[in-house]
Amino acid sequence: MTFSAWVTAHYEEKGPVIWLAFFLELIAAVTLFLLMMLTCADVFGRYFLSNSVDGTTELTEMAIAIMVFAEMPVITWRGGHVVVDILDRMMGSTLIKILGLVAAFLMSTSLYFLAVRIFELAERSLRRSEVTEFLQFPTGYVVEYIAIMSWITAALMISYGVYRLLFLSRD
Amino acid sequence: MITALTGFAILLLIIVVIRVPIAFAMGLVGFFGFAYMQGLGFDNFMEFRWNGALSMAAKRVIDTSQEYGLSVIPLFILMGNLVTKSGLSHELYRASYAFLGHRKGGLSMATVVACGGFSAICGSSLATSATMAKVAMPPMRKYGYADSLATASIAAGGTLGILIPPSVILVIYGLLTETSIRELFAAGFIPGFIGILLYLAAVRYVVWRTPEAGPCGEKMEWPERLQALNGVWGVLILFSIVMGGIYLGVFTPTEAAGIGAGGAFLIALYRRSLNFGTLFDILTDTARTSAMLFSVLIGALIFSNFINRAGLPGDLLDLVNSLDVAPMVVILVILAIYIVLGMVFESLSMLLLTVPIFFPLVQSLGFDLVWFGIVVVVVTEISLITPPVGMNVFVLSAVLKDVKASTIFKGVTPFWCADIVRLILITLFSSISLFLPELLYR
Amino acid sequence: ETTLRVASWLPPTHPQNAIVWPTWSKWVEDATDGRVKVEIEYGLGHPKTMFELVEDGVVDVSWSYHGYVPGRFKLTQAVEQPLLGASAEAASVAHWRVHQKYFAKANEHEGLEVIGLFTHGPGQIHMVDPITSLADLKGKKIRLGGGVQGEIGERLGVTAVGAPAPKVYEMMQQGVIDGVFIPMGEQKSLRLKEVARNVVVLPGGMYMGSFAMFMNPDFLADLDPKDREAILSVSGEKLSAMAGRAWDQGDIAGLKAAEEAGVNITMVKPGDALDVEFNELTKGMDEAFYESVADRGVDAKAALTELRQIARSYK
Ligand code: NA
Ligand code: NA
Repeated sequence: MTFSAWVTAHYEEKGPVIWLAFFLELIAAVTLFLLMMLTCADVFGRYFLSNSVDGTTELTEMAIAIMVFAEMPVITWRGGHVVVDILDRMMGSTLIKILGLVAAFLMSTSLYFLAVRIFELAERSLRRSEVTEFLQFPTGYVVEYIAIMSWITAALMISYGVYRLLFLSRD
Repeated sequence: MITALTGFAILLLIIVVIRVPIAFAMGLVGFFGFAYMQGLGFDNFMEFRWNGALSMAAKRVIDTSQEYGLSVIPLFILMGNLVTKSGLSHELYRASYAFLGHRKGGLSMATVVACGGFSAICGSSLATSATMAKVAMPPMRKYGYADSLATASIAAGGTLGILIPPSVILVIYGLLTETSIRELFAAGFIPGFIGILLYLAAVRYVVWRTPEAGPCGEKMEWPERLQALNGVWGVLILFSIVMGGIYLGVFTPTEAAGIGAGGAFLIALYRRSLNFGTLFDILTDTARTSAMLFSVLIGALIFSNFINRAGLPGDLLDLVNSLDVAPMVVILVILAIYIVLGMVFESLSMLLLTVPIFFPLVQSLGFDLVWFGIVVVVVTEISLITPPVGMNVFVLSAVLKDVKASTIFKGVTPFWCADIVRLILITLFSSISLFLPELLYR
Repeated sequence: ETTLRVASWLPPTHPQNAIVWPTWSKWVEDATDGRVKVEIEYGLGHPKTMFELVEDGVVDVSWSYHGYVPGRFKLTQAVEQPLLGASAEAASVAHWRVHQKYFAKANEHEGLEVIGLFTHGPGQIHMVDPITSLADLKGKKIRLGGGVQGEIGERLGVTAVGAPAPKVYEMMQQGVIDGVFIPMGEQKSLRLKEVARNVVVLPGGMYMGSFAMFMNPDFLADLDPKDREAILSVSGEKLSAMAGRAWDQGDIAGLKAAEEAGVNITMVKPGDALDVEFNELTKGMDEAFYESVADRGVDAKAALTELRQIARSYK
C-alpha cells in the first residue's frame, strides 16, 4: 500500500482535511513517543550513570502541552469531547443536530476569545524574557503555540466541524 | 450561596439539556460566573474589564496543560494501549477465565481485583479506568457480559486504589492538615481492602438479580488452568516492574507511568505485534483520549475558581457551624455536603476546596484527623462514579466509544451503594482506619 | 466598605497563612478604621501564576517565590547568595531596603505594586542517611529547587531531581531521593522529620529564598487617598520584617519538632570542617551573580555589599 493510500484509508476526514489531521496527529504521536523515551532515559541515567537528564521536568511539561494541543483540533471537529447523553433517547436526531450547532458556535467563540488573551500573555512573558529553570527556554513560545492551536481549533470547528455535523454524521 | 447554586443549576442545564460538551460548559459557566463576581451585569457588558476573568481562564489552560504531575495520564493510557495491542490482555483474561470463569460474574470479579491492584500502584483512578478498559473490556464482551456490568466494574474498580498506598491524594490531605502521611498510608490499607470485598459482593448481587449479565463459562481442569497461566508472564513482569519500582523507590509513581509504557513497548516489540502503522494508531489513540481528559480537567478548574469566589466553601462552613447538634451529626452533614458536591466536582479540586475549610472544625470537635482523612478520601472516590459528572465513567465512555455514559452510570449503581456501606462503616467505626496506625506508629 | 482579596497558597497552617496574612489584615483594618476588609482565598493555581493573577486584577494581593519565574527576576537573587549568615527577619529588612534603593528602578516587578519582600530561613541539608562531609553528597540524588541552590547542587556534584516541595516527603519515603536542601521549618510543615532523619545545619545556612508580596496598582489607585496611605503605612519594611520574623518562628518550630522526633541534627560551628568545605565550595558565586545581572543597569556589587552589611548588623 502506498503511503498516500494508507493515510486515506486511515482517516474518516474528507479532502485536504485528511492531510491536516494526519499532520497534527503525527506531531502528537511523535511527542508522546519521545515523552515515554525521555522518562525511561531519565530513570536509567539516574541509576546506572548517576546522571539524570537535565530539565526532564521542563521537557515533560512542554511535551504534554504540545501533544494535547496538537490533538485539540482533531478531537474537537470529530465531536470527541465528552457529552452527557442521558436525554438522547428522548431527542430526535434533528434536535440533536441543532444542539450540536449551538455547541459548535459556543466552543469556537469561547476558544477564539480565550486564545486572544493567551496570546497576549505569551507576548508579555516573552517581553519579560521568562525562561525555564534548567534549559533557559523561553516559556512564552509554548504559550504562543497553545494560543495558535486554540485558534486553529476554533476555525476548524466552525467550518469543517459544522460541515461534518450536518452532512457526514453516521446516523 | 445563592450565586454558587445558580451556577450549578445553569451548568446542569447546559450539559444535560443543551448537550454542550462538559469541558466547555464548565469553562463557560466558570468564566461568566467569575466575571459576574467581579461586577459583570447586563448593563455594563460592553465596558466591563474582561481581562481579569480572561486571564484567570487563560492561566488555567496554560498551567494545566503544562503540569508535570499530569504526565501520568497519557503515559499510563499508552501503557494500557500497548499491553492491549500486544495481545496480553487476551491472555490475561484467558487465565482469569480459567480460574474464575465458571463462577457467575467471575470475570467482573477478576476485573475488580485487577483494577484495585493496578490503581493501588499507579495512584490515578482515571489512568486505571483507561488502561483496564482496553485490557478487560474485550474479553468480558467475548464471554457475553452485559455492557453495564462490565464497564461498571472497571469504572468502580478504578476508584479503589486511591486509598491503597502510595496515594497522591492522601499525601495532599496530609500536607493540607499537617497530619502524619505514613499514618494516613497505614490507615488506608484496611478500608481499601474492605472496598475490594464490598465491590466483589456488589458483583455477586448483580449476577444474583440478573444472571444473564455475567454468565458462567465451562469449568476448566487444573492442567488447562496452568497452561493458561503460561501466557501471562509479560503482564506479570510489567506489573512487577511498575509496582516493585515504586515500592523499592527506584522511581516515582509519575515516572512509573513512563517506565510502564516503555516496558510495554519492549514487550510488544518482542512479541512482534508492532509495525509503524499500529504504533501510530496506539500513539494517536492515546493522545486523543488524553487531550479529551485535559479539556475536562481545565474546565473543572475554571469552574471551581468561580465556585470558590462565590464563597460556597465559607457558606457551607457557616451552615455547619450554625447547627446545634451532636458532633457525629456534624460529620454526617459534612459527608452529605461532600456527596452533593461530588456530583459535580472532580475529586482533587473538591479536596483542595473543602478540606482547608472543614478540618479545623472537625479537629475542634475532637475527631482524629487521620480518620477524617480516610473518610474524606472515600467520599471523593465516590464522586468519580456518581452522575452527572463522574470522571471515571467519562474516561470509559471516551475509551469505549460505543458505550454510552448513561449505560455505565446505570451499571455502577450497586457499586455506588457498596461505597456508601463502606463509608458508613468507616465513619461509625473509626478503629477500622486507626487500627494499623495505632499498631505501627502510636 | 471595600474588600481586599488576598490569594494565598501553602496549607492554612503554614506561618505565612496562620500569622503573616492575618496580622497584616488586622493592621489594614485598623489603619483604615474598618473601611477595607481583607479576605483570603486559596486554590487559585500554581504559585508562579500569582504574579499575573494580581497584575490582571483576578485578585488584589498575593505573594510568590521569585525563583518560580526564572529570567524575569534576577536581582532578587542577591539575598539568596550563600554565606549571608542572618535570620530571615534581618535578611528580609535588608532585602526590602536594598530593593528600594538599588533594584526598584530596574522594574522587575513591572505591573505590580510591591508591598513587601522577605526570605525564608536559611536552607539546610536534610538527608535520609547521615553525611560527615559535603563530599559525601557527590552522586547522591537530591531534590533541588531553582536558583542559587541549583548552582550549589551543581558544584557539589549531586544528581539533581526536580520536584515540587510537597512531593518531597513521598519521594524520600520511597527512596527516589536521598535528600533535599530546604529550610528547617519544613521538618514540621512538610513532615520531613519522619523521613529525613539526618540534618546538617551550616552556620548561616546554604542559601536564602526570595519572596515578594504585591498588590494590583489599579486597586490601590481606586482607593480613597486616605485608605491608600493607611495601607502603605502598614506595608513595606514593616510588613517585610514581620513576615521574616514569622518564617523564623516556623524554623524554630521545625527545629523543635525535629528534636522531639529524635532527628539527628548536626549543628556545624564556624570553622568546623564542614563550614570550611562549604566556604571553599561557594567561592566565585558572588562574581557569577554580578555577571548574571549585568544587563539590569544597577550597581549589583554595591547592593550585595550593603545588603550583607544591613542583614548582619540588624538589631
Ligand atoms: Na494508590
Ligand atoms: Na461525580
